[in-house]
Order: sequence, then structure tokens, then C-alpha cells
Amino acid sequence: MKVVSVKPEIDAAKCIGCGICTKVCPSAAIKLVDRKAVVKEADCRGCGGCEQRCPVYAITMVKLEQPFTVQVDITDVSYDEIESICRNAKLNPEQIVCYCTTTRAEEVAAAIIKGAKSPEEISRATGIRMGCKVECIQPILRLLKAAGIEPVRPDGYQWYGLTPTVWDIPEDVKAKYGSRGFYFDEDIKLLDKVVNAKPERRNSDEKTCS
Amino acid sequence: MRRPALKPLPPRPSQYGIAPEFVKKRMAEYPEMTSLLLKELFPDTPDVIYPGEGGIAAVRKAAETALAKVDISMIKPGQSVNVLASHHGFTLLGGEPYAELLRVVRDVIAERTGTTEIRLRAGVGLRFRETEEYIKRYKLDEYYKGKARGMAPIDEGIAIQTEIGTLYGLKAVYDADWIIHVHNSDVREVHFHRQVDRAVKPFGMSYARIETRSTYHWNMGPRGANFTARAIFESEFVQSKFAFAAFLNMSPSGVVGVMAENDLYVLNDQMTKDGLKYYGKIMTLLGEIDECIVGLDFQCPVPYVFAAGVIYANFVGANTDLFDLDNDLPSYTWYTEAFYDKAGKPLIDEIAPVNPAIKMVVHNYAWGGYPNAFFSEHIPTVVVGREQADLMSSDPQNVLYMNYATIADNLDTAMHFAYKAGKTDKVIIFDGAMGGVNVSCSLADHLVAKAPGVSEKVDKILMPKWLKQRGIKR
Repeated sequence: MKVVSVKPEIDAAKCIGCGICTKVCPSAAIKLVDRKAVVKEADCRGCGGCEQRCPVYAITMVKLEQPFTVQVDITDVSYDEIESICRNAKLNPEQIVCYCTTTRAEEVAAAIIKGAKSPEEISRATGIRMGCKVECIQPILRLLKAAGIEPVRPDGYQWYGLTPTVWDIPEDVKAKYGSRGFYFDEDIKLLDKVVNAKPERRNSDEKTCS
Repeated sequence: MRRPALKPLPPRPSQYGIAPEFVKKRMAEYPEMTSLLLKELFPDTPDVIYPGEGGIAAVRKAAETALAKVDISMIKPGQSVNVLASHHGFTLLGGEPYAELLRVVRDVIAERTGTTEIRLRAGVGLRFRETEEYIKRYKLDEYYKGKARGMAPIDEGIAIQTEIGTLYGLKAVYDADWIIHVHNSDVREVHFHRQVDRAVKPFGMSYARIETRSTYHWNMGPRGANFTARAIFESEFVQSKFAFAAFLNMSPSGVVGVMAENDLYVLNDQMTKDGLKYYGKIMTLLGEIDECIVGLDFQCPVPYVFAAGVIYANFVGANTDLFDLDNDLPSYTWYTEAFYDKAGKPLIDEIAPVNPAIKMVVHNYAWGGYPNAFFSEHIPTVVVGREQADLMSSDPQNVLYMNYATIADNLDTAMHFAYKAGKTDKVIIFDGAMGGVNVSCSLADHLVAKAPGVSEKVDKILMPKWLKQRGIKR
């Protein structure tokens, strides 16, 4: 879930048409038209990445008159299917996978089940990756892979690809560096425990009497 | 008779914080506050060269001495060199010592190699223009002859083949014949790196693309994560470009000296030992605080404001031993934050609660530009001034921060509320005071009484364990 409260405003007189904003936008909401950046507002989730990387300071983030929320409803999707994707990705359905938006794995899985086939589409649907723009790309790619989807890379720097996990580390590498405090096997055990944990309550934030 | 509180640095203009004129009063100004020097708490605290009588010239001299023993003969005239920097160094002691080290590194390369193609490439955390601000502030663009620039983790990347698979660095880091790694030994994010491979970490963070940083925070586990940077540094590609490293050697009191080595692991082991020793005692002592109000009053995001060299995020986890690798998860780290379920309960029993000694937080001055909501969600927080609340609410990384915090009109009313609601007169201020820590007199008495026992425990029990866990001999 993400509250979108700001949007970019582009000063066309300053814009030099370099296209960097189009290459970094996590929701692929910016295009060059006649060598000027143009934002498709319906796709923008207000992360500010374009404003932060514009080399000529042509972009300003402004408050939306009417902030809006993006969120994927998980209640009309099979939770068994959500669980299957999440655990296949070695994530617990209820764990957070984006610190800025507190998006949980189950919401990303639901977005995939409902048709999202790329990180960009998942970002537009859930708002994930719309805070820091840095940390949550791997859980997204892991969930897509777990659902059997190989996303097509956009024509920019939005993301390059999946990277290794602790479960992938070869035994000889573990042995080579094992004495230096990396605790690979202990962390595998810990993460496995998280993946398989069963929260006491599901689909409700309401406090109830027992 | 208690010493007056140390004067904190003035607020710094930045796009990530409120304008300095909105910071109307500092917590250190209250008469009930005093300061404790690190030397006073722990007599074996090392002497520092900065701050000191020699001023910034002492840092230059130490840097020149350290760099004199480094082999740079591999750099030939006409070759290109990227001097790699990170934002963190500029937050230490006002930033000037780190800026001076970066100037000396350029001078030495130019003088000893004859090359003129020397660029400064400065990486960041999650505030993509932060080092741009520092480059301007310290006039490093002029010093580097117009060849200084900031880098962000969403900039163009480059694939790096490692022993565990493909990871990704920033293209701007590696687009030179040689790279020089200029950093510091301040422990800072112990909750993340656990003082494992601290010297190597920037290769997996400020020099890395989002894919690699996400690997650290999601794919590898809370301790295994530290291998991410080593995997990159060990790669044939990076080794073919690495010339040497130069570090400010920090203690909670200031700059102890400058270290420079061609072998990064020599420096890594030394700073692991020094870091455990210099910071281990004060961090353990802060874990002995039984109850307190925390003041956030420094020019950086909430978790990074610091007192006696210890950042607030580490105080949030000070109820556990962050250096003890047998502890799976600190009370605060991103793995921990991820492992609370929708009802706010930990998914597994290993999750320790946040430090129960913190009764209330007064957010007088701290920046956005980092996901801070975990802190206001878990600890009662009062934010001073509407401007600061608005800053948080319009920051894409902190849209939820004010969902959990309350607002006070000014610092006086915030403190009044904190004393009443927190039901304690003990206060610790994270205001970056140099050489010591600003606390209330009541907390000063508590810390002075506890310090000798903590010192003995660290020397005799904890240090041997910490070193053994990291495969380092005493």
C-alpha cells in the first residue's frame, strides 16, 4: 500500500532531453516527446527518482491536491496460490518486502496473480519501490521467478537482474570464508524459520478477544 | 560540579532536512543537561589528532605520512584514477577531516604519478544528492579540477562476476584504470554490518547498484549479508583496478589517525579490532541505561543521529549485544523490521523487542531520506514543529512516519510532555557532540557509576569472544 502525495513537474525550458529520468523511473512513467520529458501521471507513483537524478534540476516534486492510495486487494485471490508463490520465493507471505511502503510479500504475489508481469507493473499496482527506490528489487524479482515469470528488462537502468541468495552459496565458498563471521548456515536456518512461520491471525489487523 | 553540555554543530541547509531557521532551540541548551567526555568514562580511550590543537593540519600531516608508505607505482602518467568516497565520512566532525583526506589523496596521486586524470566519485545512501551537497560545501569540485560528481544506486550499472554469481556495481565507480577506496572506520551501522568486513562494505553499498544493495538486505541474511561486499571486492574485475585504500581511523572521541594500505584486508583486520575496542565499551555502557528520554538533534536521518559516536539505531538495539554474532537479529535491522506480521507481532521468537529503556523520543531535528517509520511505530515519538512533520509526510520514504508520531509546537512543550509521559528525568541527546555525550545530570550519574564495570567486562569477557567470532587474533 502506498499513499501517493507528490508528483513531478517538469520545466520544459530547462529539460535538455537527456532521458535519464526515463531510465531511472521505477514505474516507467516518463517518456521523451520531441526531446522533452513527459510524465504519464496515471502511472507515476511519486517516488521522486526523476527529480533526484535530473542533471539540470529541471524537475520539481509538488504536492498533489488530492493524494491517492494504490493497493492490491488480496481478498479476491486464492491465499493458497499466494502462499505457494511466496514460499517458493523463500519469503513469508506476511513479511514486509518494502520498508518505505510496508508492502508485504502477499500483496506482491496477489499483483502477480492478477496479471502483473514486471517490476514496473507491480510498482504501479502496489506502490512498492516508490520510497527509497533501492532496496526492494530482489524480493520482487524473486516473487516473479517463483511464479514462473521471466520479466523483460525495460530500456533503462530500472533493474538488471536477479542476484544470488544465501541458499545459493557453494559449499567451497562457505568453507573458504567460514571463519570470518559470515554465519551462512546459521542465517539459512534463521531465514527458513521465517519462511515457514505461520502467523497466528491472517487477513485481519483487528484486535479480538480470545 | 558538572561540565556544561557540549555545543552541537549548527543545523545544515539541505534538501533532506528543514531549513535551519526552523530549528529554534537545541536540547543541549537546557540547564539540566551536562556532558560526559569519553576519556572520563573510559580512561583508555585513545588520544585523537582531531579535534585538537593542530586543527585540520594534523589530519593532512597524518594522511601524508600514511600515504607515503603506500605503493602507487602501478598508476602511470596519463592513466585515469577514480577516488571513491561515501557520504558517511562527511557527517563526521563537521565533515572537514574527511574532505581534507580526499584533498590529500588527490595531491599525493598527482605528485607521485604525474597523472592528471583524477576524478572524485562520491556515493550515497538513500539521499541521492547528498554528496553533491558536500562536494559543493567543501569545494571539492574545484580541488578535483571540475572532475567531482555524486553517484546514486539507480545510476547506470555494470555486471560483476563473483564467486557466488553476478552482482552489480555502479559504472561510474569502475570507469577508470584504477580505483582508490577512501573511507573511515567509524562503526556507525553495527546493526547491519555487525563489525564484519567493515572496511569492505562500500563495495556492496555506496559503490553498488540497487540489485546488490537489495541482495545485502534481502537475500543473504543478517550476518551472511556482509559477504556481499567481499564477493564483489574479491572479483577479478575489481582486483584488477584496486590500487589502495585510505581511511580516517575514528574513535568516539574523534580522529585517531589515518590508515592507508595496498592490502585492504590488513586495514580491515586492524579496524575491526580498533572498532570493537573503541566503540565496544561505550555501546555496552549505553546498553546499561535503565530508562531515558531520547533527543534526536542532528543533521541526518533519524537512525543516524549520534551520541558519543553511537548512532540512535544502535541504541534502539542496545538491549542486545550487537557485536555478538551468536545473536541472530538485532532489535532493529531491516531483516528484523521485515519479520513483523500484519498484526505487528514477530513472525519468529528470535525477534528481540526494541530497547525498553527508551520511554519517549523527542525529535527536535532530524532529516528524512531514509525509511524512519519503524522508529515512530515502535517508540512513542513527539516531533517538534509543523515544518518537520510536513517534511516527513511529503518524503516518499517517510509517508507513514507521522501516522505514529505526535507534534509539539516547540521544544519546550515537547520536553514537558516527554518528562510527564516518560516518567523519567534521564535524557540522552543524539546531537553529534564531539568527544563526549550530552545527557541529563541524572543520567550522567548513572553512566559514571556503571562505566568501570562495563570496561572490565568488555576487556575480559566480550572482546575475546567478539574477536574469535570474526577469526581475528588479539
